[in-house]
Amino acid sequence: MTLLIVTLYLLAVVDATASGYSAAAGRSALIHKGPHYRKSMVRGFVLGQIAAAISLSLVLWAVKTAAHPDAFCSDLARVWTRMLQVYLPFSLIILTAFAFRLAPSVDVRCLTSTLVFGPLAGIRPLVAIAGLLWGLWAAPRPEIIAGGAGILLLWLSLERVLGIPYRPKESV
Amino acid sequence: MNDLEISDEILSFDPDTLERLPVRKSAVLQKFAAQSNRRAMSIVREMADRNDILDPDAVDRRLIRVHCEMQRISEEFQHGQRVAELLRPILEALRSTGVVRPIRIVDVGCGTGFVLRWLAARGDLGNDVELVGADYHPALIGEAMRLAKKEDLRVTFRVANAFRLDPPGSFYLSTGVVHHFRGEGLPAFFRSHDRPETRAFAHFDFLPSPMAPFGSWLFHAVRMRDPLAKHDGVVSAIRAYSGDELVRAAGDGAPGFVRAMYSTRLGILPIPRAFHSLVGLRPEYREAFLRALGPRRSRLGAWT
Repeated sequence: MTLLIVTLYLLAVVDATASGYSAAAGRSALIHKGPHYRKSMVRGFVLGQIAAAISLSLVLWAVKTAAHPDAFCSDLARVWTRMLQVYLPFSLIILTAFAFRLAPSVDVRCLTSTLVFGPLAGIRPLVAIAGLLWGLWAAPRPEIIAGGAGILLLWLSLERVLGIPYRPKESV
Repeated sequence: MNDLEISDEILSFDPDTLERLPVRKSAVLQKFAAQSNRRAMSIVREMADRNDILDPDAVDRRLIRVHCEMQRISEEFQHGQRVAELLRPILEALRSTGVVRPIRIVDVGCGTGFVLRWLAARGDLGNDVELVGADYHPALIGEAMRLAKKEDLRVTFRVANAFRLDPPGSFYLSTGVVHHFRGEGLPAFFRSHDRPETRAFAHFDFLPSPMAPFGSWLFHAVRMRDPLAKHDGVVSAIRAYSGDELVRAAGDGAPGFVRAMYSTRLGILPIPRAFHSLVGLRPEYREAFLRALGPRRSRLGAWT
């Protein structure tokens, strides 16, 4: 159970930090953008911690109020295991593409965008939903469905929230 | 066929005086209505106007934002590195065969000047190179100057017709500009290069392919926020010229240059690139350029 929570937490934090990068992308026309991206990624990381704390609190509250906590935890573990069956391969593909991004060839680096980062960024929300549905299929309890949907909505809205500070500016 | 870009229609300049001309919103809407382009109509309809004249300040702010988003895609596709990779052998050929210094590289329709600012910051082109960006749009040039100053970059930007600069360019460069010249405008564009001081040119633009409209749509949908940028990005890919069309038009307009397409395929893979480039050189530089290209000469198409 602990390993499942830690794995989901790590994936979620990486996703939140990447959302920080994504929220900052296309907002600065400078050439040297290191500080611009770093600032936004730190914001993503911090917001990720808050979202993780809210998510964990929700889970703990659900466990505490469940009629049969042991059975509830067992169902949760089944749901999370199946969610990771979707999220881990997706993350692995992206991490592998990052490795290719270090290649000295401009063409290879571009291919990572054309074939991986671009399309996968497009389907990321769908993968997140698919992972949850695949997980819920194992234990479709109403409280897990409601909690899972709420937590997913929270995580998918992070990039939008992280983009708010940039909105009034035309360019940094 | 939807082949009008919103950014082309909401701006108008007198080509001689470069004075900004008022643009009637209703006239723009009519053009898109004639193409049944509801998406473009809805984007234009939401734009601010005063008595049917599009608000120039709002248009400027919008286009600066759009250029900032476009820069993101250029960065993702490593466009600065790509231009530098082609420029270095061309500059080597010019230097070894003889050229007036400084070598003046002029970016035609530079917008907010991403390519030149990137080259100034990271291009390592040498101290005998002068970078000059030209565009009709004062707001974009103002933004380019602001950004260059902020990073202390050695690059100049002018509100000007790139081909009327004095002194003229030794080398003309552009990105995503060529497809804006339609019909007779395309050979006329190349005719502007054919002056004694100009030694070479390289124009980068979308490479048309069956996958290009979908690929462009996907990337603009995922990476862009502004609906105008999303719309124009897809239209650009649809109306981009093929390599044959570009080489032919350059031959008609600038017969004093040898011309070839560069970088149309990804090595031996049947994957088309997002961008291809038309290279033109005075004939005396061709051999030196091929030598300087080294193994990358296989990326060059047939010379005409």
